[in-house]
Amino acid sequence: MRKVAIVGIGHTGFGNLSEFDLVDVMGFAACSALQDAGVLQERRLVEQLLVSNMCGGIINHQTGIASALVSRLGMEPAMAELVENGPASGASAVKLAVMAIASGLADTALVVGGELMRAVTGWIGTDAVATLLHPQAEYDLGLTLPAFGGIFTRMYMERYGLTERELAMVAVKDHENAAKNPWAHVRVPCTLEAIHDGENADVVNNYVAEPLRLYGMCPVSDGAAALLLCALDSPKMKHFQGKPPVLISGIGAATDRHCVHERQDPLRLEAVRLSAERAYAMAGLGPKDICFAELHDAFVILEIAISEEVGFFERGKAREGIVRGETRIDGRIPLNTSGGLKAKGHPVGATGVSQIYELVKQLRGEAEKGRQVKDPRHGLAVNFGGFGNNVVSTICSRINL
Amino acid sequence: MIDFSIYGEKQAEVNALKCPNCGTLYYPAPMVCAKCHTRRDPSAVFFTPWEQVPLGGRCKLLSWTRVYALPEGYNVKFLNFGVVAFENGLKASVRLEVDDPKTGMELVAEPGVTTERAGKQIYGLFARLPG
Repeated sequence: MRKVAIVGIGHTGFGNLSEFDLVDVMGFAACSALQDAGVLQERRLVEQLLVSNMCGGIINHQTGIASALVSRLGMEPAMAELVENGPASGASAVKLAVMAIASGLADTALVVGGELMRAVTGWIGTDAVATLLHPQAEYDLGLTLPAFGGIFTRMYMERYGLTERELAMVAVKDHENAAKNPWAHVRVPCTLEAIHDGENADVVNNYVAEPLRLYGMCPVSDGAAALLLCALDSPKMKHFQGKPPVLISGIGAATDRHCVHERQDPLRLEAVRLSAERAYAMAGLGPKDICFAELHDAFVILEIAISEEVGFFERGKAREGIVRGETRIDGRIPLNTSGGLKAKGHPVGATGVSQIYELVKQLRGEAEKGRQVKDPRHGLAVNFGGFGNNVVSTICSRINL
Repeated sequence: MIDFSIYGEKQAEVNALKCPNCGTLYYPAPMVCAKCHTRRDPSAVFFTPWEQVPLGGRCKLLSWTRVYALPEGYNVKFLNFGVVAFENGLKASVRLEVDDPKTGMELVAEPGVTTERAGKQIYGLFARLPG
């Protein structure tokens, strides 16, 4: 199989961009990736555009987004398609780009993920994302993704003894990282005193889906991210003189039962485990080789549960690692160095692309002061679709040329 | 004169489906039985229809949450949701109508109206304390 490298990356700030046009926001990130690769003027080198977006049709009343973007970028006649795989749309688009390049269908592909969710009220945005649930057995009850976050968190706490304080420690760590990330939605550090230990913590950090509180959940964000990919053996590689290429050394995906209640043990995230195993196998690596990871913490419990499924901790033991500081920037396995979905933000279609953007930043050694992992060689991103029913894991590695 | 009686309320129902070949119960139903691979035909034209089995009755609460951030269309302060296991082995997500839920508690589930969309009543399972 041909090896595929990331040769350019782009990002917008995450936050409230609702005054802008969805395709403009995506276009900004795309141009940044082309510029990063040094080929903005030669953008017709790109043969394949893949756009990841989940809610454009529902929230922004816009479809045919890939066709609109290729035209806005002046990149016709590149092939262009939209990829929708719920919150895992971003990494799915990267996976399809890898498949297109590895198969020889294209040498170059631009992946752009974007979402504008704050154009509508929180009620409508929550409803739009909830349409990925089973229509009759889940959605019709009024269930939402935060509801499953709450149900899952309670199960985990009751089985493994996780405390609300330990959940809050994850949020504090994520906010600390996000505060140093210029693209993050919430660039405000928080303290355990403010969100758990202090006498006003119940007010500051109120319940949203018990036992999950406000600081246990990601914000509703707008934003976009982009990656430019090229086959390492392609003659086109000579055009990308901007930054050192980063190898997509492994990528794997897996699915699980659509309904959470249908799973033998709802606490087992089988699709996470399998997707990571597939990515590890492709890369010829294991959990011990990974230097840092971006894990899909739409709810802080997911950082904990995913870190166990991918092999960083034994089941039920991640909480001990959190208390020991092992997931901090200077810890044994830094998690969500970008601030994660929790604090960097979660524009759904952009998230998977943004996670891999962060892997590239870290592997290039370009992360901002105070959140650069020391000399990383391999990073893992887990992009979690549905409530764990469709997951994509990606490993990126530094190339020693 | 308009006869409004023809618009009478439908009985709320939530059904599991039974594979006509091996009898395995599902909620919700797949297109192919996971055990014997018998196909399900929603039109009941091409293959034997799967029997609808009313879902409800005694169940045990596996986990639950109280949600304050509700989607469009739910104009209440919060709703309780849970996952329950029935005596026949099926599990389901339910709307929980218990003031002080506790994991493991025994409940009784029955179908009811969860919301209304475009004049159509939407059904789901509600779990309450027995008796």
